[in-house]
Order: sequence, then C-alpha cells, then structure tokens
Amino acid sequence: MTRHRGDHGQVGGIEVLPFGLLVFVVGTLLVANVWAVVDAKLAVDAAAREAARRFVEADVPAAGDFGDAEAAARRAGYEALSAHGREEARSSVELTGLESPGGEAGFSRCARATFTARYDVPVLRLPWIGGFGSGLEVTSRHAELIDPYRDGVPGSAEACS
Amino acid sequence: MTRAERQPDRGSALMLMPAGLLIVLVLASIAVDMSLVHLRKRQAFELAAAAANDAATAGVDQGRLRTTHDYVLDPERTRAVVEDVVAASELAPQLAGPPVVTVTAARVRVELVLEADYIFADVVPGAPDGTEVTASATATAVTAP
Repeated sequence: MTRHRGDHGQVGGIEVLPFGLLVFVVGTLLVANVWAVVDAKLAVDAAAREAARRFVEADVPAAGDFGDAEAAARRAGYEALSAHGREEARSSVELTGLESPGGEAGFSRCARATFTARYDVPVLRLPWIGGFGSGLEVTSRHAELIDPYRDGVPGSAEACS
Repeated sequence: MTRAERQPDRGSALMLMPAGLLIVLVLASIAVDMSLVHLRKRQAFELAAAAANDAATAGVDQGRLRTTHDYVLDPERTRAVVEDVVAASELAPQLAGPPVVTVTAARVRVELVLEADYIFADVVPGAPDGTEVTASATATAVTAP
C-alpha cells in the first residue's frame, strides 16, 4: 500500500474553508449594509437641507399659497438624492411642518419650515443590477426659519419679536 | 530538510484564510465607525450653520433697527433662536452640552458638541462606546448691495 501524503495537513485546512466563506459572506454583508445606511444618511441629510433652503428662500404671493414653493423644494430634495446616486422610487421628501411663532400654519416671516427626507435602503445592493428587498428606512429632518426681513414674504416682521 | 520534516506545515496556509478575512472585516468595521464620526461631524456643522444663519436675522434687535437703523443682534434673543433651532433638530438628543453662542454686533458664532456612537467598537470589551465631535459656524448679517 502506498502512502497518501496528499491527505497530510488537510485535516487542519479544508474544513476551515466553509468557515472562512461564512465569515466572508456574513461579514461583508454586515459591513456593506451598515455602510449603505451611513451613505444613505448622508444623502437624506443633504436632501432635507436642500429642500428646506429652497423653500425658505422662495417668493410666495400669500401665506396660504405656497404650493409652488413646496413643489420646487421637494424637487430640489429629489435632485440632491439623485446627485448622491439614489433612486427616487425609494425616497420621499415632504414638508412636515410650517409653523409661525404665533402658532399659525402658513408661509410667513419667522415661520419654521421643516422638511423630512426618507430613503428605503435595500437589503442587498449589487453593482449594475441594483438593490433587492426592503431594508431599513433612513430618515433625516431639517428645519429653517423663513427670513423675517427679506422681500417676497407676505406679512409683517413684528410678530417675530 | 527532509520531506517528512516539512509535512507538518502543509495546509497551514488555509488556516490563514479566515484569519485574514477577520482582519479585513475588523479593518472595515473601523472604517465604518470612523465614517460614522465623520457623518456626525458633518451633521454638527450643518446644524451649527443653520442655527447661526437663522439667528443672524431672527435675533436682530428690532427696536434699535427701527429707531436708529443700526443692525445689531440682541444677545438674549439670538441665543433663544439658536436654542430653538437646536432643540427642534433631530440631533438634539445627541448634544453633549448646550450650544455656545457668541454674539458680536451683527455676527453670531455657534459652537456645538455632539456625541458620536460607535457601532462595531461598542462590542469590543474595554473600547470606548463613542466620541465627541465639535463643530462651529459663524454668520454675519450684511446689507444687500
């Protein structure tokens, strides 16, 4: 009988391949998913900020007539998400608050406008193929005050004091 | 060295594979934790900039503006605006302390300290749970040309 030297050492080698593969796949998915959330957070932060900035700088004819400004602000938010390589279908940018110091809702001086951007991070994202599954929803909120003294804003600034 | 003496080393290269992968994953984890700190620093800066920007106009001393036409910030009002903006932010629970507001004439400087929590380092015994990041922003009201 000849010696089968080829088996030597494999007892301590081959069985670690599944373990190594498991560590690699699970670890890579974990790190990739966490990174995807961090990256999405950067994108939604930018989207909420851009939307809020666009909204508070808009010219509005009347306190209750801010539909066009809101649409332009939302569009600015989606453009910011798109610039970060994010799909519009998985995202939303909404005006979630518009309140004046007196408590009334409307586009008035010193009112605080709050925009919220959301992005649904896929569970698995592959290059060239796209994302699969519905994973975590990443949210960001940004608030800005409408400038009390600039042109193009209905109302008086006296309520701001 | 004879062939028989070399045999115990066979297969040891395969053992290095999971060890190498673990090292790569640990390094990736450190990179993710560091990027979280970077993210928090950016958020802190954006919040400080937004608060300073709002306070530079909403914090003006209206009485003095209407009587003497001097654009001077009211320190108390400016601080109140900054605190309102920071409190309304989603980052308010992460604040390590109240915002530091410095007002000089028409300029306001806001400094914030936020807590940044680690994700992966948190599971290592003895490692810190997070760190603190500091950001400051200055806004000055200027007359339109």
